[in-house]
Amino acid sequence: MKKLFGLFFFIFGLTCISAQEIDSDLLKIKSRMDAINEFSAELQLDLDAAFINMPTKYASMHYTKGKDTKFSSDDFVVLPKRGLDFAFSELFEHPFITVDRGIETKNNKQVKVLNVIPTDNKSDMALATLYLDVKNERIAASEITTKKNGTYALEMEYPDLEAILPNQVQVSFAIEKLKIPLNFMGSDTDIDRKTMRQMDTKTGKITLLISNYIIN
Amino acid sequence: MLKATQLSKTYKSGKALDNASIHLNSGQISGLLGRNGAGKTTLFKILCGLITPDAGKVSIASKKQKPIGAVIEEPGLYTYLNAYDNLKVFSQIQGAPTDITTLENCLKEVGLPLNRKDPVRNFSMGMKQRLGIAIALLNNPDILILDEPFSGLDPTGVASLSKLIKQLANRKIAILLSSHLMAELHKVCDDLYIIDNGKIINQGLTQDIIDSQVTIYTITGKNIENSDFIQSYIVQKEKNKVTIKCDSEAISEILKSLLDDRFKVTSCVPNITLEQLLNPVSK
Amino acid sequence: MMLPLLKTELFKLFRESKTWYAIAAVLLIELIILVAAYYQGAEILDLLLENLQQSFYFEGNLLNGNLLLYIVLNSLWFNLPLILMIVSSSLITDEYKNGTLKTLMLQAVDKRKLILAKFIASLIFTVLMLLLLMITTFVLAYGIFGTGDLVVYLGTLNFFPSEEAFKRICFAFASGTISMIFFTTVSITLGIFLKESAKTWIASAFFLILSSLLLKAKFGLGAVESYFFPKLTNSWQRFFDYEVDVSSILLDNSVLGIYIILVVLIGTYYFKKQDVG
Repeated sequence: MKKLFGLFFFIFGLTCISAQEIDSDLLKIKSRMDAINEFSAELQLDLDAAFINMPTKYASMHYTKGKDTKFSSDDFVVLPKRGLDFAFSELFEHPFITVDRGIETKNNKQVKVLNVIPTDNKSDMALATLYLDVKNERIAASEITTKKNGTYALEMEYPDLEAILPNQVQVSFAIEKLKIPLNFMGSDTDIDRKTMRQMDTKTGKITLLISNYIIN
Repeated sequence: MLKATQLSKTYKSGKALDNASIHLNSGQISGLLGRNGAGKTTLFKILCGLITPDAGKVSIASKKQKPIGAVIEEPGLYTYLNAYDNLKVFSQIQGAPTDITTLENCLKEVGLPLNRKDPVRNFSMGMKQRLGIAIALLNNPDILILDEPFSGLDPTGVASLSKLIKQLANRKIAILLSSHLMAELHKVCDDLYIIDNGKIINQGLTQDIIDSQVTIYTITGKNIENSDFIQSYIVQKEKNKVTIKCDSEAISEILKSLLDDRFKVTSCVPNITLEQLLNPVSK
Repeated sequence: MMLPLLKTELFKLFRESKTWYAIAAVLLIELIILVAAYYQGAEILDLLLENLQQSFYFEGNLLNGNLLLYIVLNSLWFNLPLILMIVSSSLITDEYKNGTLKTLMLQAVDKRKLILAKFIASLIFTVLMLLLLMITTFVLAYGIFGTGDLVVYLGTLNFFPSEEAFKRICFAFASGTISMIFFTTVSITLGIFLKESAKTWIASAFFLILSSLLLKAKFGLGAVESYFFPKLTNSWQRFFDYEVDVSSILLDNSVLGIYIILVVLIGTYYFKKQDVG
């Protein structure tokens, strides 16, 4: 019995310790985000990459906490897998600890830099770096390194000082080795093999303009 | 109507035509007789403007849009079209009338049936020749030139075509025919040109040419081989037919004697070969 | 006189069974290409988008009528001229073979006008064939596979919205038609020189293959090189550059037009000079 009680206190203690290891500013932001159960919005997507030309696309999204976000569009749209989680629900889904990296200036704003390290093996994330706009209690930018799908950088912009959901998100991404089937290429397209080899990993970014939020 | 003077044409293979002159009159049927390869077709092609001569001139006294109609070698026809459509095609391109009545008249004139709708590839040689002539007659030319029109025809076909040609001459068309067979030409032509190795070696009225060279006649009649008078002339004897050797001056006397002896002469045909005409003997 | 000559040429052309065989063959080939394009399209998209799919979701269907039409366009411009050239060249070689040229020349017809009528008849036939092809392919492709964005790779991965893709495809067909007119005109001129059908087909096929091979060749002559005819017959492709250089494409097609006129002039001159039979 004593042993069991001791074990209980030990575990409780540990939990308390881990709770203390999450930055308090982040916790404030997290609770703001947790308050959002559901929202829908209109998206305008602009893809900017050296190797892709795509016109502006439009889509609508519907977010429900705990469920997959739904997207719909009349057009063909390309949506970044990792950039649409601006409620950061996936980030906060699994237990984690934070490490304070100090204050930096990013985009003319003072931001607090935090490393977020998941403690659970189940998390897709290996590491995240969050840039917190402490004054306005929201995330200004993030860099998330996933275990399997590379690194994503997100930059958020907000319509006003109060908003928790951004009106502009820039998602930067990297693609390794774009494969082009030869018979699909134009018959007089020159294949510059040297350049192609050098540019194996290609980078780009998608700018999402979000509007018409309907928040529940 | 047509005057061709001193036409010459040389090919890589040799001289096809050497200073040939020919002239044609309206309503007259002229014949050009020569061996295969003598230059008949080359001459015709020059007269029709298909090929240009190396020397010489062709003058045509006709103001028609199409002064000469011709069938050179085999008639060139659209074998996948029927007779009517062939006529229509060749009429349309030169602005000649293409109404049903006119075209049907063209078919009738050359003795082609109006109800044959199948493509020309099914036609006999004789019918193709006739269609060729009908096409040559489109747009009412003043001159008609027919290259070996009797070739490939059976005797009935030859007779029927000869009749058609004579009818056309009555329309005041100047007609020029060629052949390598004397038998065909002499029945139809008013005058003859003899051509050999590209040169015109003899010309004149058909009857005069024949009379000057003929030495053999074939006379048919009942029991004619039994005539005493004729025995000295006979070269060959068959039942009711004899082949005799004599010249054109003597034949009238021979025929008169046979008739006096009450032999019924059904025909008297001069046997004259091309070889004789190509190698004339002066009398 | 030209109009009756032209009407007659078209009449003869469409009365020949050969022409209808050619039309049937072209439609059949188009159908086969469309079916092949469907399977090819699925494979191409899988390959192309495989790595993109690591980072992106795709909403919407890229395997649609527009993609299939693009793939059809890619294979059309070699298969089609082979058949068209056979029909066009026979406009003149059949006349030599059947002796009808001789009969034609024995009528009150101007030689130059006759051969021009043939060139024009060939042009009309080519345009009609392309229209037929375009309409039938559009009906089949859009009818069965629907519309949607078009993705092509021309140095960069270009995405076009559906309506724009449709317009670009239409322009591509138009540009390709001019190339087809060039090849069919060449086949008639070859027919004038060679006279025999078989020789003309072989020469025409050779010309087509040569043009295709020379498309990518570099002669080190700089800007002049781009006006060499093999470089001009592929301008349809340039309607799928993201930013279309309309003036450049128009220029290329105009120069090709000049080549066409040149070929017609050469053919007409030689035909007029030739003895018949």
